[in-house]
Amino acid sequence: MKSSELVQGTLDMLILKTLALEPLHGYGIALRIEQISKGVFRVNPGSLFPAFRRLERAGWIRPEWRPTENNRRAKFYQLTTLGRKQLKAETEEWARQLAAITRIMRAPAISDL
Amino acid sequence: MFRIRSVVAGLRALFRKRQVEREMDEELRDYLDAAAKDKMRSGMNREEATRAARVEMGSVDAVKEEIRSVGWESTLETIWQDLRFGLRVLRRNPGFTAVAALTLALGIGGTAVVFSLLDAVLLRPLPYPHSERLFRLFPLEGKRKRGVEQASYGDFLDWQRQTRTFESLAAYRGESLNLTGTAEPERLEASTVTPGFFATLGVSPALGREFRSDDPESVAILSYALWQRRFAGDAGIVGKSIHVEGRACTVVGVLPPQIRFRSMPWAAPVSEIYVPVVPTPARNWHSVRVLGRLAPGVSKEQALAEMNGIAARLKQAYPESEALGIDFEPLAQYVVSGADQTVWLLLGAVAFVLLTACANVANLLLSQGAAREREMAIRTAVGASRGRILRQLLTESLLLAGSGGAIGVALAYWAIPLVGRIAPPFSSLFSRLEDAHLHLNWTVLAFGALLSLLSCVLFGILPAWKATRPAQSSLAASRMGGTRGGLVALEVALSLVLLVGAGLMMKSLIRLLDVDLGFRTEHLLTMDLRASEAKYSTPEKQAAYFDRILQRLAAAPAVLSAGAVTDLPLTRYFKRDDFQIPGPHPVQGTANYNTVSPDYFRTMGIPLLNGRELEMGDSANSPLVGVINRSMAGKYWPTENPVGKTIVVYRYAAEQTSAGTRVQFKPRLLEIVGIVADARQYALEEPTRPELFMPYDQWPEQEMRLVLRVAAEPSSLIPRVEKEIWRVNPDQPVTDIKTMDEWLAREAAGRRFILLLIGAFASIAAVLAAVGIYGVASYGMRQRTHEIGVRMALGARRQQIVWLILRQNLSWLVIGIAAGLAGAIALTRLLASYLYSVRPTDPSTFALIMLVQIAIAGLASLIPARRATKVDPMVALRYE
Repeated sequence: MKSSELVQGTLDMLILKTLALEPLHGYGIALRIEQISKGVFRVNPGSLFPAFRRLERAGWIRPEWRPTENNRRAKFYQLTTLGRKQLKAETEEWARQLAAITRIMRAPAISDL
Repeated sequence: MFRIRSVVAGLRALFRKRQVEREMDEELRDYLDAAAKDKMRSGMNREEATRAARVEMGSVDAVKEEIRSVGWESTLETIWQDLRFGLRVLRRNPGFTAVAALTLALGIGGTAVVFSLLDAVLLRPLPYPHSERLFRLFPLEGKRKRGVEQASYGDFLDWQRQTRTFESLAAYRGESLNLTGTAEPERLEASTVTPGFFATLGVSPALGREFRSDDPESVAILSYALWQRRFAGDAGIVGKSIHVEGRACTVVGVLPPQIRFRSMPWAAPVSEIYVPVVPTPARNWHSVRVLGRLAPGVSKEQALAEMNGIAARLKQAYPESEALGIDFEPLAQYVVSGADQTVWLLLGAVAFVLLTACANVANLLLSQGAAREREMAIRTAVGASRGRILRQLLTESLLLAGSGGAIGVALAYWAIPLVGRIAPPFSSLFSRLEDAHLHLNWTVLAFGALLSLLSCVLFGILPAWKATRPAQSSLAASRMGGTRGGLVALEVALSLVLLVGAGLMMKSLIRLLDVDLGFRTEHLLTMDLRASEAKYSTPEKQAAYFDRILQRLAAAPAVLSAGAVTDLPLTRYFKRDDFQIPGPHPVQGTANYNTVSPDYFRTMGIPLLNGRELEMGDSANSPLVGVINRSMAGKYWPTENPVGKTIVVYRYAAEQTSAGTRVQFKPRLLEIVGIVADARQYALEEPTRPELFMPYDQWPEQEMRLVLRVAAEPSSLIPRVEKEIWRVNPDQPVTDIKTMDEWLAREAAGRRFILLLIGAFASIAAVLAAVGIYGVASYGMRQRTHEIGVRMALGARRQQIVWLILRQNLSWLVIGIAAGLAGAIALTRLLASYLYSVRPTDPSTFALIMLVQIAIAGLASLIPARRATKVDPMVALRYE
C-alpha cells in the first residue's frame, strides 16, 4: 500500500494529536501514526524531524531526554499547554473544513446525472 | 512567546553547533535503531532490518539538511555562505572585480556628488523655526499684474497694521555701509530692517535684543561673524558705540552664529550688520522687501484673499500707489530662486552616467556568466535550486555594488569640495551652497548606499537570470547577442546625448565670450568707492572728492588713464528711467541713466562717433549736458542727428520733511552733445540698450566705480592705487577690486560651471561606452577564434576578417547612435535656458558629436578585430 502525501500543516496536527495521549520519541510517533491510520500514512524521517523542530520552535511540543536501557538516552517529545490549545483549535478547524468538503462532494453534479 | 523561544533556539543552533549536531545525530541514530528493532520483530534478521531502515530513511545528510533549514538561522547562514563565496569569486578574478567596482564607483560617486548639491540647495531647511510659514510678500503692478521685487514703505506699514492672517510682517532692504573709526576702514554688507524683523523670522539674538519701534536711528545689530572678526567676541559689546558711515552707533544686539541672512539670495553676500530702516513714506517709491510669518491655522488662500482686499483698499485711498494686488511665495523658494533647476538638470545628466556604468557592469557579468556555465551546470546537478543559485549570484552583485559604492563615496568626498569651489559666485546656487555648508553628510551617505542597492538591481538581475538558464550553444553566445548588443547600444545612446549636451554648452560659452563688448578689457582695474555721508554730505563735496581722487590716480605711474562711472558694464547694475523728447508731438522714451567722469570713455576705449565728449567744463553751474550711445540715437532719432537736440530728463530730488524723506522727480532740460559707440551694459548676453551718460559734476553720486587703464599687471598695482586714495582720505574703504577680466569671467561662470560638470559626465560616459564596446567586441572575437582560424587557413584575407567582425557589431552601434540622436533631439531642449546664441538642435554640433561618437565606436571595435587577424591559424584551429 502506497503512503499518501501529507500536507505540512496536516502532519503537524497529526503529531500533536499523537502526543496528546502520552509523550513519545521520534520513531514511536511515526509508528503510532502509521498504525492508527492503518498504513495510509507512512511518514518518512525527512518530513518528520523538520516537523518536530517546527513544532518545538512554535512552543507546542517540548523535548525531553529520558534515559533508556544501555545507559543511553532518547529524545522524547511532550505536548505543552500551548500545544494542547493549538491542537484543539486545529481539530475544530479541520472538522469545519472536512464538513464543507463533504457537503461539496455530496452535492449532485451535472456529470453525475 | 514562541518568538523568543525561536530566537533562543536559533542562537543556540548558531553558537553551539557541535552540540546541536550531536543531538541530531543521536536522535536519528535512535530512530534507525528503533526502526530496525521493529523490523526484526516482523521477522527480518539484524542485517536486513538495519539495511531496510537505512533505505527507508534515505540520505541522513539530506534529512539533517531538511531539519536545519527549518530555523531562521539557516537563512542567515546561507546568506553568510553566499557572502563568503561571493568574496572568493571576486578575489579569484581581480581584474574583473577592479574594473567593475571602478566603473560603478564613477557612476555612484558622480551621482552622490550631484545629490549633495541637491541636498544643500533644496533639502536643507532654513535655520528659522517653522520656516514653512515664512513668506516673502510682493506687490503686483501694471496692466498684467506682474510681481515686483519691492514694495513701498508706506504700503508696508498699512499691510502690517491691517493684516490678521499674518502673525507678523517685517521689511528690509540691502545696503552697504562703511565701518569707520578703526584701524582699517571696511565696507560691510548690511540690511536695514524694521523693528520685529528678527522676531518674525523666529530668531532671538545671542546677545542683547533686537530693534524696537522707539529706538533712535543710530543703533545697530551685529552678525556673529562680524562680532568675532572685528570686535574679538567682546562680551560687553552690547551698549558700546561703533562708527558707521562716520556716525556713532550703539550696538544693541548680536545674532546667533547660524543666522546667515542675505538681502538678495542671488547677489548679496551675507549681511554682517543690521540697522533700522529709513522711513520713506512716498507710495510710489518701492524701497523695501517684505516678509511675513503666517498665523497658525491660517491657510495661504485665506491670507491671499485678505491681503488683496487690503491692497484694493489702499489703492483707493492712495491713487499714486502702484500696487494693485499682493502675492507671496514661500521664503524657502525665494532663497533657492531657480538654483534647483540647474541641480535637477545635472542630476539628470549624471543619472545617464550611472546607467551607462550599470550597463557596462551588466555586460561584464554576462561575459563572465558565459564562462561560468560549467560551474552552474555542476551546481544544478548537485541539487541547487534555480532560486538558490540566483540568490548567490545576486549576492555577488551586491558585493560588487557595495565595493563600487564605497569607492564612489570616497571619490565623492574628494570631489564635493572641488565642485563647491567652481560654483558660480553671485548666484542663488552659490549662496545656498555656502549657507547650507556643502559637504558629504549622512544624507548623502545614505543616498550613496541606496544607489548601490539600486545599481545592484539594475546590473545584476539580468545577468543572474541569464546565467541560471539552461546552457545555450556556444555559437549563439559568440555573436554580440541580443542582450549584450542591446546594452552596448544603450551605452552609446546615453553617452551621445551627454556629449551633445556638452558640445552645445561649449559652443554657447565660446559664443558668449566672443561677444563684442564695445570696449577694451585688457589691463583694466576697477574698484568701488563709497564716499562717507558724514564727511561728504553735499553733492558738491562728493563731486570734488572724486575729482581729487581721479586726479591723483591719473598722475600715478603706470596708470595710463582713470575714469569713474556709476554703473560699470558687466557688473549687473543699472538704472533705467524715462525721458521725453519735447516738441509738437512729444515722444516718451526710456534709457539707462549712467553718471561718468570726463575721462571715462577714453579709459574704457569706447570711441566717440559724433559731437564731443563730456569735459571738465560741464560743471554744476553750466547747463545740463549728456552723451548718448548709438542705440539710443538709432532708436529715437533714426533719420536725424540728435547732437545739439534737447530732451527732458527727470532728476531725483529728495527733501527732508517732518514726515520723513519726500522723493520727487523734477523735469529738467538736457542737451545732447555727443554720441558714443555701444558698449555692453548689464550682462554679457543682453543686447545693448539706449543709454544716457551724464557728467558726475552735474549729477553727483555718493558711490562710484573707478576704472583705471594701467600699463602693468593690474593686481600688482593695487597697493599703489590704494595708497593714492588714502592720501586723499585715509578713512576710505576701497572695495570690490576686480579687473575687467574677472568681471568677464564672472559672467561666464554660470555656464562654465554647467559645462565643466556636463563635460565631465559626458567624458566619463564616452570612455565607459568605448570600454564597453571594446569588451564586448573582444569577447566576441575570442568566441570565434576557432572559426577565424578556419577562415584564415582557407585563405581569407585580413581585411575580410576584420570586416566580418566589425559587421556583426555594426548593427548595434547604428541602433545606439540613432537612439542617441533621437534622445538628444528630445532632451536638449531642457538646456535651452542655459544656451546662448545656440539652438538646442544646432545641426553642426550634432554632426560633430556624431562623428566623434562614430570614431570612438569604430576604434573600440577595430582594435579587437585587428587583433583577431594576428592570431596564428594553427593556434586558432586547435582552440576549442
